[in-house]
Amino acid sequence: MQLQQLDPILMRVQKPARYTGGELNSVTKDKNSVFMRFAFCFPDTYEIGMSHLGMKILYSLLNYREDTWCERVFAPWVDFEEEMKKENIPLYGLESFDPLYEFDIIGFTLQYELSYTNILNMLKLGGVPVLASERHDLKNLVIAGGPCACNPEPLVDFIDLFMLGEGEESMNELMDLYRDCKAANESKASFLQKAAQIGGIYVPSLYEVTYNEDGTVAQITPKDGAPKTVKKRIIRDFDKVFYPENFIVPFMGTVHDRAVVEVLRGCIRGCRFCQAGFLYRPLREKKPDTICAECRDLCESTGYEEVSLSSLSTSDYSDMESLLTQLFDYTQTRHINMTLPSLRIDNFSEELLEKIKAVRKSGLTFAPEAGTQRMRDVINKNISEEDVMHSCRLAFEGGYSSVKLYFMIGLPTETEEDIRGIIELAQRVVDLYYHTENRAKGQSVNVTVSVSTFVPKPFTPFQYEPQDTFAQIEEKHRILKDAVTSKKISLKYHHSDASVLEAVFARGDRRLAQVIYKAFLKGCTFDSWDDQFHYDRWMETFKECGLDPAFYANRRRSFDEILPWSHLDYCVSEAFLQRENKKAHEAAVTKNCRMQCAGCGANTLVGGKCFD
Amino acid sequence: MIDIRVFYHKTGRARYISHLDMMRCMQRAIVRAKLPVWYTEGFNPHIYLTFALPLSLGYESKSEVMDLRLIDDAFPLSEVTSRLNDALPPDIRIHTTAKIQNKPQAITHAIYTIQLFGNTQSAEVLRDRFCAFMRSTQILVEKRAKQGRRKITKQIDIRPMCELLSCEVSGDVVLLTLKTQAGIQSNLNPSLLLEAFIQTNEGLPLRWHICRDALLMEDGSPFC
Ligand code: SF4
Repeated sequence: MQLQQLDPILMRVQKPARYTGGELNSVTKDKNSVFMRFAFCFPDTYEIGMSHLGMKILYSLLNYREDTWCERVFAPWVDFEEEMKKENIPLYGLESFDPLYEFDIIGFTLQYELSYTNILNMLKLGGVPVLASERHDLKNLVIAGGPCACNPEPLVDFIDLFMLGEGEESMNELMDLYRDCKAANESKASFLQKAAQIGGIYVPSLYEVTYNEDGTVAQITPKDGAPKTVKKRIIRDFDKVFYPENFIVPFMGTVHDRAVVEVLRGCIRGCRFCQAGFLYRPLREKKPDTICAECRDLCESTGYEEVSLSSLSTSDYSDMESLLTQLFDYTQTRHINMTLPSLRIDNFSEELLEKIKAVRKSGLTFAPEAGTQRMRDVINKNISEEDVMHSCRLAFEGGYSSVKLYFMIGLPTETEEDIRGIIELAQRVVDLYYHTENRAKGQSVNVTVSVSTFVPKPFTPFQYEPQDTFAQIEEKHRILKDAVTSKKISLKYHHSDASVLEAVFARGDRRLAQVIYKAFLKGCTFDSWDDQFHYDRWMETFKECGLDPAFYANRRRSFDEILPWSHLDYCVSEAFLQRENKKAHEAAVTKNCRMQCAGCGANTLVGGKCFD
Repeated sequence: MIDIRVFYHKTGRARYISHLDMMRCMQRAIVRAKLPVWYTEGFNPHIYLTFALPLSLGYESKSEVMDLRLIDDAFPLSEVTSRLNDALPPDIRIHTTAKIQNKPQAITHAIYTIQLFGNTQSAEVLRDRFCAFMRSTQILVEKRAKQGRRKITKQIDIRPMCELLSCEVSGDVVLLTLKTQAGIQSNLNPSLLLEAFIQTNEGLPLRWHICRDALLMEDGSPFC
């Protein structure tokens, strides 16, 4: 396809730059001189997808290969989709404008459960059969990876294989295999059998699942030589991992439009609600020199005026002092701003705050996650109220007058007292401001309380827990609202029944694939966008399929239940998760990995000990 | 310190970069090109640059103009051109860099070449219709405006604001050359004229491609 064909419809839609590509550092190759064409698909809009670090890494890694041309595909917004259908234009790769059905491999990244219907929609718009069973050839192989691949069961009807864990190594192994099989004209079945032998590759069609009468899983049986359990992949030497020398620089504004360097992977904290904290274990860091070199390369190849340090918990980086000193040396002479997201408050030193203050003037954000100490102990968020107050005092003394606090509701064992505790904590922060002597004069304080709904996720100690029903959550929102008496507190929560669906898919089994398929046929897409989400349509579909959302979302699971993802191994043992679950119910905390190993099992991935 | 003017083309995929995004795109290109530019002072320093006349989204242009300030008076201007070209995506091409001679206010007219695609219409019929349309003594269009705080629509006659320089058939397209008033005094967007043309012809199916070829000053010479 040519740009000219798109011209008339581009003028009729919002943000046409989403659909035109051609950005600096986007990769164009001669399609006749590559052997494999890869479509990296992000099942949400351009602005969201272009902010995603994993995509940047794999795009660059794949295009580094001479035999491969990797392009990007995003979910078209509803206005563009309508125009595409009217004009008979198939969904296309942004680099070549070629339709999706011309690509050898179509890869999706699974960042959140509510993007699943977009996957189906993108395949359909791209002229690719949605059901894996209707794709008979090796061409149009559909693969997926990312955090939700840890329980991909609801997607098995659509995706040919999943990549578990970090993709920087397994992606190349998979591409090599694909190249050989394509060259030898092998069948899709034969390729999939071979792929299942690569570490971290899960081929769902090679597993048979049977169910008990009560709806729980009875047995998961591998066939055709597929391994009994598939173990996630990690990069052992994280300091040497492939990192892009450049990023595509979008023309239009995106969610995170800046250079990003990854300082560490994994997390030492073990917050019991946090799936990422368990999925990416163990902690691995890059050396300060490596990070700085990557930062310099990126800033120079992109011209970005801002760089951020990315990880689950950047302030746990072991050599922060020397990293920041080196980075500031570079950025300050070049008019580059530095942002440090997700700073934890329990190791926020005055010195560090000084340095950050020099570059960041907006408000500060902290995530105590729960309002009472008991609740924080249950979720193992090892922060005391004193820590919160201490960090806020430092911030106020440093001239800040607005603070944003993040909390969750719907946590296991939660009582009304815990919920009111959220607002009470915020009120004490307000009071603290007026008791801080050298605060900024003449300003009024603002404490934003942002509350999200807890969703129990696989591979966490809370994977056995029931989610609150929507009615319970509504009631809790009401309690929160009633508890606020001060105008200095702004309460923000997301009132949506979409978190029910998120909970269902997060811990769902294979039978849910038919629900996703039918809901998609009924027009469900962009479920994470409030204005596009149709709760009724979904509930109607569950009924038609004879499945009950409450069975997946609101049921407590016993420790001996076979979980739908029990054949997937993220190297955190069930014994450990159960131990942690019991401790949660006793409100007993677990020390962080640096202080004391809790024996989760992830150390086997790095051969021995996680920390010296 | 020296103020310089960069002349560039904006074609292909770059046509869909909005004016605001273009600003950001150029700032980043300048950083990548490591040009000795002047940064504004104050709390949030940024590269000082201005654009002469905003281009509508979707238009191609061979007459884009950006002004910059260099802190090194002796920096070779040809170097600005080549370094920026290395740092920009292929659909934005710098062709000249020169010292600034006139203020952007000196722009009074623009020349556009326009391709009309008539779908079912033959190009000859389309040409005749368009020429007939341009022979009208008056072309009234609705323009949204503000009167105090109220938003109103008012009718204006755009016929005096443009002049058809040529109108011919080339294959199955009609090629127009149009001179319009442009600049801060009075500015006519060619799509406004084309939409009026569609209206007077009962909504005939028409697609077009617009390219701004040149910016002119009062005396008819190219803006520089
Ligand atoms: S093995 Fe121990 S130190 Fe390593 S990640 Fe697990 S709990 Fe932490």
